[in-house]
Amino acid sequence: MLELAIGIMLAGCALGAGIAVVTGIGPGIGEGQAVSKACEAIGRQPESKGAVTSTMIMGCAIAETTGIYGLVIGILLIFVAPSTFVNLLLKAVGK
Amino acid sequence: MLIKLQPAVKQETRRIAYGTLILTAIMIVVFIVIGRFDLTVLWGALLGAAAATGNFFLLAVSVQQAAEKMNGVQMESFAEKDAREESEEANQEQKQDASADTPEIRQAKRGMQTSYTLRMLMLAATAIIGVTVSVFHPVATLVPFLFPQLIIYLWNFTQSHRKEG
Repeated sequence: MLELAIGIMLAGCALGAGIAVVTGIGPGIGEGQAVSKACEAIGRQPESKGAVTSTMIMGCAIAETTGIYGLVIGILLIFVAPSTFVNLLLKAVGK
Repeated sequence: MLIKLQPAVKQETRRIAYGTLILTAIMIVVFIVIGRFDLTVLWGALLGAAAATGNFFLLAVSVQQAAEKMNGVQMESFAEKDAREESEEANQEQKQDASADTPEIRQAKRGMQTSYTLRMLMLAATAIIGVTVSVFHPVATLVPFLFPQLIIYLWNFTQSHRKEG
C-alpha cells in the first residue's frame, strides 16, 4: 500500500512538472509576435528605433515571466518535491 | 563576431544587474535572519543572479539584432498606410493585407523564438546544476531567476508614482 502511495505521489509530481513546462509555449509565441510588430513599426517609422527597442526589451522580459515560473516549478517538482513528499509520507506512517 | 551594443541595451542591462545585486543581497540577509545561511546559499545566490542577468542581457542582444534587421528596409509610413486603406475602402477594392510580414520581419521573429528556446535551455541547465550539486542551495539558486521581472515591475511602479507626484 505504501509503495502504491509513493508511486501515485511520484506520478503526480511528474505530471505536474509536465503541465508546468507547457507554460513555456505562450511566451515563445508572444515574444515572436511582439518582435514582428515592433520590427514593422521600426520599418514604418525608423526614427523611433531607440524607443521601440527599449520598450521591446522590457516587454519581452515581462512576457518571459510565466515561462520562467513554469520552468522553476517544473524543476522543483522533478528534483525537490518527490524526496520531500516521500519523507513527509514516511514520517506520517511512522517508518 | 563582436556586436556593437546600443545605448538602450547597455542602460537596461546595467539597471537589471544593479537591481539583481541589491535583491540578492536582501535575499541573503533574509537567509541570515531566519538562521539558514551557510556558504551554499552564497554560491547558489551568485549562480542564480549571474544566470538571471545573463539571460536578460542575451534577451536584450536578441532584441537589438531583431531591430537591426530592419536597417535600410523601407516600408510605407503609418500615415501612408492609413491613406491607402481609406482609398481602398472608397474604391471598394479588395483590401490587401497591409501588415503582411516581410522576409526581414519573419527572420526577426524566428530569431527571437530561437533565442527564447536557447535561453530557457540555459536557465534549465543552471537550475538543474543549482538543485542537484550540493555546493549550491536550491532555493537561493532559483529565486534570483525572478528578480529581473520584479525589478521591472518595481521600476515602472516607482516611475508612475514619481510622474503622478
